[in-house]
Amino acid sequence: MSTDDNAAGTAEEAQVEVVDTFDDTIWDTVNRTLRAVDVRPERSALDLIIHIPRADIIRGLRMLKQDADLQFNYLRCLTAVDNESDGIDVVYQLYSVPKNINLTVKTTLPNENKVIETATTVWKAANWLERETAEMFGVSFSGHPDPRPLLMPEDIDMSDTYPLLKSHPFAEIDVLQGEILGHDRDAEGEG
Amino acid sequence: MVVDTSATEFETQDLLLNVGPQHPSTHGVFRMVLEIDGEVVKDLVPYIGYLHRGAEKLCENNDFRQGIGYMDRTEYLAAHNAELSYVMAVEALAEIEVPERAQWIRMILCELNRISSHFMFLGAFGVDVGVFGTPFIYGWRERERIIDLFEEISGDRMMFAYFRAGGLAWEVPLNFPERVREVLESARQGVKDFDGLLTQNEIFIARTKNVGVITADDAIEMGMSGPTIRASGVPLDLRKTEPYLQYDQIEFETITADGGDVFDRYLVRLQEISQSIDLIEQCLERLEDGPIMPEKMPRMLRLPEGEVYIRTEAPRGEYGIYMVSKGGNKPHRLKVRSACLSNLQALKQMCVGQYVADAIIVLGSIDIVLSEVDR
Repeated sequence: MSTDDNAAGTAEEAQVEVVDTFDDTIWDTVNRTLRAVDVRPERSALDLIIHIPRADIIRGLRMLKQDADLQFNYLRCLTAVDNESDGIDVVYQLYSVPKNINLTVKTTLPNENKVIETATTVWKAANWLERETAEMFGVSFSGHPDPRPLLMPEDIDMSDTYPLLKSHPFAEIDVLQGEILGHDRDAEGEG
Repeated sequence: MVVDTSATEFETQDLLLNVGPQHPSTHGVFRMVLEIDGEVVKDLVPYIGYLHRGAEKLCENNDFRQGIGYMDRTEYLAAHNAELSYVMAVEALAEIEVPERAQWIRMILCELNRISSHFMFLGAFGVDVGVFGTPFIYGWRERERIIDLFEEISGDRMMFAYFRAGGLAWEVPLNFPERVREVLESARQGVKDFDGLLTQNEIFIARTKNVGVITADDAIEMGMSGPTIRASGVPLDLRKTEPYLQYDQIEFETITADGGDVFDRYLVRLQEISQSIDLIEQCLERLEDGPIMPEKMPRMLRLPEGEVYIRTEAPRGEYGIYMVSKGGNKPHRLKVRSACLSNLQALKQMCVGQYVADAIIVLGSIDIVLSEVDR
């Protein structure tokens, strides 16, 4: 850490330097663990984010879990983000109970082939979270032990509608109720 | 004459028993199908989603202030804690500094909410176990006092919408510290009442000890959190491991138990009420006059691009908000990490091999809120 005087003096230079350093994070350890995998780091407001290509995702996650210096044995959260034309990001929030460190792992899937290997082989906690992600985003988790829908009804075919995609319409509440109840608002007239 | 009773002649068949979704002991609209052999559970298939309202989609289509109200409706028994995660996510992305007074008040309200939620658990759990009536009234009585206080502050009993990005919606009433102390006094008595009624009760112990055991390793593997994982001996409390607000300024110890059974989950929650009372008293001592919102807060908040995963310790465990902003006044993606959803995943593992009546207790000991599970 530099002193305040130095920081003021080098502020201009710092702006020129585009390459971000991750010295204050666990990036070095993560990079060493995943040396066999093509990894790209990024920052969120709190944690370090790493991007792993789809082909290596489960191998990478398992390495992160088994490494003695990291031990990411707790899956906080698993979800997806629809980036429209840029595909879909599957996001894993990891935590290490013994080391008390956090890491976000991302992998990008192209829109035309939203298939990824299941993480249930790494953490059992991924089971329901993957089922939810599958029905909400249309991501298919290959090898999932129980690929039924979780929150959506099983007896209605929802295989072409994925509610959390940006392309899925967000209807006003009165429109929704009107459709379901069969109201024709124009015919109702006054009152 | 010898009668041949070889197994081929008599076939037994397991019975499928449907529980819920409309059933008093499922704590909401939760359905599970039990496969039972006599009285023993051989398999359990949970069904959720009856209360799914698309809260995430709604939040993605409403601005950052409107989203606060939807958070109340995901976790209605601890709405302050749910709001806290949401506003903290907005504050982290917008880099807003929250004034110290607002942080202390937030802490007091969140801890009070924890007390009210745990009392609700104790009451409902007592009924699950079969202590009919009394614990329910005890729990309800204490919770009602706290909720009255919340109503005086926010104007609503459950859907507070009192936290704002940056601080609080308005100042607390002048008699706030006295009223909180009054409520704490009564809560302290409530803990004693429950302690005397249940903790040493022979029947209660017989029904809950060594029932629904989950080991520390399994609990971590399943992603459990909150009192449910602490009862298995894992000291995972976000207030301690990753302090937020001013939790690093006050003294408390993470409460754990070793058994991982239903009784320990009860005991951890009972002790956490006492702990929260102690925490609030420390907060009240540190509470000083000052602003509750930073200066120059814009009326319509626009966030820069970025993303954050905020997690806080709600009464049921880790309540997380994953927020992705691509600029503008709405989140691009908002994911609610529900503590109950992850805890409920372990239900099958806890119930298989137990009696049917115990499955109900195990479910009660997870303390699910279905609106948080389904969102």
